[in-house]
Amino acid sequence: MDMFAQILSSGIAVGMIYAVIAFGFQLTFATSGTLNFGQGEALMLGALVGLTCVDTFGMNYWVMIPVVCLFGMIQGSFVELIGVRPAIKIKSEFGWIMSTIALGIIFKNVAENVWGRDALPFPSPLPMEPMNFLGANILPMEILVVFGALAMMLLVEFFNRKTIYGKAVVATANDRDAAGLMGINTSMVITFSYALSSLTAAFAGVLIAPLTLTGATMGGALGLKAFAVAIIGGLSSGMGIIVGGLILGIVETATGFYISTGYKDVPGLILLLLVLAYKPSGLFGKSAIKKV
Amino acid sequence: MLSIKNLEAGYGKVKVLHGINIDVPKGQVITLIGSNGAGKTTTMRAITGMIKPTGGEVTLSGEKIDGYDSHKIARLGLAHSPEGRRVFTTMSVNDNLLLGAFPRFTGSRPKGDIKEDLEKSLEMFPRLKERRNQLAGTLSGGEQQMLAMARAVMLNPDIILLDEPSMGLAPILVEEVFKIISNLKSQGVTMLLVEQFAAAALNVADYGYVLENGKIATHGPAAKLKDDPAVKAAYLGGASSH
Amino acid sequence: MMKLKSLLPLLIAIVGLFCLPLFIHNPYYIHLAETILIYTILLFGLDIVVGYIGQVSLGHAALFGIGSYTAGVLYFHFGWTIWGTIPASIIVTAFFGGILALPALKVIGPYLAMVTLAFGTIAQILINEMTWLTEGPLGIKIPKPELMGVPMTKAEYFWLVSAILIISMVIVDRFVKSQIGRAFEALRDSPIACDCMGVSVYRFKVIAFVISAGFAGLAGCLYAYSEQYISPNTYNNELAVLFLLGIIMGGRKSRLGAVIGAAIIVLLPKLLDDIYLFRIVASIIAIVVVAGAAMALSKQLTTPRRVAIPLAGVVGLAAFSFWLNSISDWRLSIFGFMILLVVYYLQNGIVGFTKSFYQSMVGKAKTTRGEDAEVVDDSISFISAVGKQNTGAELLKVDSLLMQFGGLKALNNVDLSVKRGTIHGLIGPNGSGKSTMMNVLTGIYVPTAGSVLYAGESVVGKTSSDIALSGIARTFQNVQLFGEMTAIQNILVGLHHTFKSNMIEIALHLPRYKKEEAEAHARALALLKFVGLDDLANEEARNLPYGKQRLLEIARALALDPELLLLDEPAAGLTAPDIKELLRIIRKIRDSGITFILIEHHMDVVMSVCDTVSVLDFGQKIAEGKPAEVQANEKVIHAYLGT
Repeated sequence: MDMFAQILSSGIAVGMIYAVIAFGFQLTFATSGTLNFGQGEALMLGALVGLTCVDTFGMNYWVMIPVVCLFGMIQGSFVELIGVRPAIKIKSEFGWIMSTIALGIIFKNVAENVWGRDALPFPSPLPMEPMNFLGANILPMEILVVFGALAMMLLVEFFNRKTIYGKAVVATANDRDAAGLMGINTSMVITFSYALSSLTAAFAGVLIAPLTLTGATMGGALGLKAFAVAIIGGLSSGMGIIVGGLILGIVETATGFYISTGYKDVPGLILLLLVLAYKPSGLFGKSAIKKV
Repeated sequence: MLSIKNLEAGYGKVKVLHGINIDVPKGQVITLIGSNGAGKTTTMRAITGMIKPTGGEVTLSGEKIDGYDSHKIARLGLAHSPEGRRVFTTMSVNDNLLLGAFPRFTGSRPKGDIKEDLEKSLEMFPRLKERRNQLAGTLSGGEQQMLAMARAVMLNPDIILLDEPSMGLAPILVEEVFKIISNLKSQGVTMLLVEQFAAAALNVADYGYVLENGKIATHGPAAKLKDDPAVKAAYLGGASSH
Repeated sequence: MMKLKSLLPLLIAIVGLFCLPLFIHNPYYIHLAETILIYTILLFGLDIVVGYIGQVSLGHAALFGIGSYTAGVLYFHFGWTIWGTIPASIIVTAFFGGILALPALKVIGPYLAMVTLAFGTIAQILINEMTWLTEGPLGIKIPKPELMGVPMTKAEYFWLVSAILIISMVIVDRFVKSQIGRAFEALRDSPIACDCMGVSVYRFKVIAFVISAGFAGLAGCLYAYSEQYISPNTYNNELAVLFLLGIIMGGRKSRLGAVIGAAIIVLLPKLLDDIYLFRIVASIIAIVVVAGAAMALSKQLTTPRRVAIPLAGVVGLAAFSFWLNSISDWRLSIFGFMILLVVYYLQNGIVGFTKSFYQSMVGKAKTTRGEDAEVVDDSISFISAVGKQNTGAELLKVDSLLMQFGGLKALNNVDLSVKRGTIHGLIGPNGSGKSTMMNVLTGIYVPTAGSVLYAGESVVGKTSSDIALSGIARTFQNVQLFGEMTAIQNILVGLHHTFKSNMIEIALHLPRYKKEEAEAHARALALLKFVGLDDLANEEARNLPYGKQRLLEIARALALDPELLLLDEPAAGLTAPDIKELLRIIRKIRDSGITFILIEHHMDVVMSVCDTVSVLDFGQKIAEGKPAEVQANEKVIHAYLGT
């Protein structure tokens, strides 16, 4: 029972991180029909920039968070401007897939050169002694991760539902042409959704950094698994990605424990392949009707 | 108010409009009728920036707007209730209406009292008032049409373009829709109405243009056009005008 | 039939290739050349997915690895020789290609890319973890293969690889030029039209991945013997991206492009290791691009705005190289940067760019009939006359059809009976359900309720591809031609059902395949002549004028040898003379016994050519009868005009 509780609690923490990153995928996909294949690298840059703020500039963790979020917004806007906007203009799906991949590679390489290839420890703002709850050892940082992720998603939901600008974003996602007719500058909405998407990824980066090692390679696997969560949950369902994230986090932790850490990443990927094979719109998503 | 000269437009290689001229004076209701494929919706889209015209000019209150993006045109006071309604299905009726007033929130249009206008809108469209918190996607076709029109009114526009408001609606609902259009007309709202239902359109309009194969076949005061056999021919063939 | 003139450069290259080890004795350079050849074989395979079915695959490094490890494992655990491991690698990797295709069946674009990425990641993890099979991170050492008991020399192995490359090149070339290649391109250009022409999208997606993987496996096997040591971390996502860069930069759908791409991805890292050499090369490229841009600007072929970015890019790169002391750390950024440049400015690769550059300098050659134009064999009856028997008998019977989408009843209890040999019109206002009916009849939608009987058999639940092959062909409201393929190739896809030859017959150009290809070609030309497009046979479909595109779609549908032809607004957007031609063609087709269902808004077309007309409104049939009767019917007038 202890083991079960442990797997559950660690799995939930990991799962919420996946969900937050997946949330970023949803944001850009909803408004523009495109995804950032370098989303994992956005997280990685956020974590590293955060590390520099805290280590080199001596910033307090909590003060660092808005700085990293701002960085994320700039990075996201950059990706949209350079990689996505030109592709949307020439209506080339191949174009934005390859450019966001390319930008991801460039960011990773830049990070390697600036911060080195080693994995670095990230100072934790909360005590590192685990608390015992129902038989499981839970780190305070893990609790922060869960609450931070939920808070971020709730904040964005609040923005979408209560502010007129948020409604404009939802409208653009719903029907881009009609949104333009309302006087909404839909290109700017798309840039904004990329900025927001990288913001959430960067934020996720500084949340998870104290729990793991920070380095140029941390983004790759996370990005792919977050994509799996976005697909499993359904790219159009917010609730779906939280459920998807939790499922993946728990299954992964269980695999790592019962089989071996090397195989940890495999079940998530297999789950992704199964969902794409049988219900591509996701467990919670709605299938689109073909129009000919 | 709105003046269209020699407008040419199409989709990729297909040229649909071959130079049309339409004039919408302030305070009047002008209608553009014609059968399917004649180019009515293409005309609307070319005016409101959904597609870019390949030739000709569109002038709104003296400003040349051909080639502008849709959002810029909306901010200049031109509201468009598009073909197929295109309401925001995942948002409530209330939110849809608020979005119609978007440029007023951001300052591109004079702000006025948005809340008050929202309540006034709902008074004019009682069916919507009952359903104000419902998701727009769950409304019936007729209700969505009302919503699209109310949304256009929320802009406090100088001119409203209505694209095929009767499409897909049962006859009873079509009557209601046209009653509302009459209502708006009596309030002095300038409108350009595109319709497949020639009869209803000509009943409410001041002046009409008949579009056939991308060209204006005939035009005149609405009352006169009603009895013109050329109108019937444009829809159902018969008088071979080729 | 290739002329000797165009074969000559190729023959010279092949001879040069084989002479290489005779003149260059440094094993380092031979190994480099060998790696280029091996990567070329892989890129042939990757091109099938990227160039021909038009998708991004990030899984080919993994397939490459599976090929290497099949060879490695069979040697290490069972002592197999290369003569066994080569076929084994091909077969095993092809099998995994098939597995990769399964989750990829229903998805395209970014989803498919992610499927391949997931596959690649899983494969690498499994190779790394299953140490009992693969030795994991330790890797496997493989000795040079033996020829008659003696290990091969570097030169001998090079010749083996070269020979295999030539064979692969010929086989790939033959596949992509055959009906298989056309099926791939049709899949890419319009999956819906592809299915409706009887070419199953699912089936050919799997075939594409299987063939592609086969080549990757072959390359992987040869690589293992070339490197003589394999380990899991070689076959990572970076390599996968590098392969993509190679094929895009070299040029898709081109064997030469694969060679150039392979050379780039092998030589580039070496170039980046030597900063002095890199500075020289970067400066030369910058100078060439600046000169080329200046030339193009002076000839007014482009605008300053368009060349600004690539110019800034190459000049910046050269400057950057002088600023740094070592560029190998920035290798990946350079790759990323190159991908960006290539994706936006070099979409057709070096091969494509050179071709269009050459054409714009020299002037476009005429694509209309020249001395090479083929003569149409007028004796071919290209429309298999269905025969006049049974005219008037019921061919299609639709009973109480209900098509519901959520709450919307697009078709509500519709009955339809279409008699053989007639032209049955289907009219009604926008949104009345006409196109929905078409889509139900061709299997794109499955009806919610009701029955559809075609020649006595139910159509409900059958795939679009099966329905097409059973005799129902269609055109589309928004033209769904295979845009990047030529007019004659579009028709040849419609003729896919006449090809019975298999892959071996294609690869070896056996008589049955050659006969089928020749007959299909002649028939396609005859069909083109019928619709007046024979002089545009080699023009890309997307470049044709709109009116001709619609006629091409009809000719393509005829290639299916249908009994029932569904035309969806064939006259939309046509000018009066085009409409006259369309009517003439419709009548001629009807005279050979084919039945029509015609959706139209052009009343003149409907009146002049239809025998019966059914009118839909709000998904229900409101009138039916002879055209003149329907035209005068009050309900119909009300539905359209509202009076």
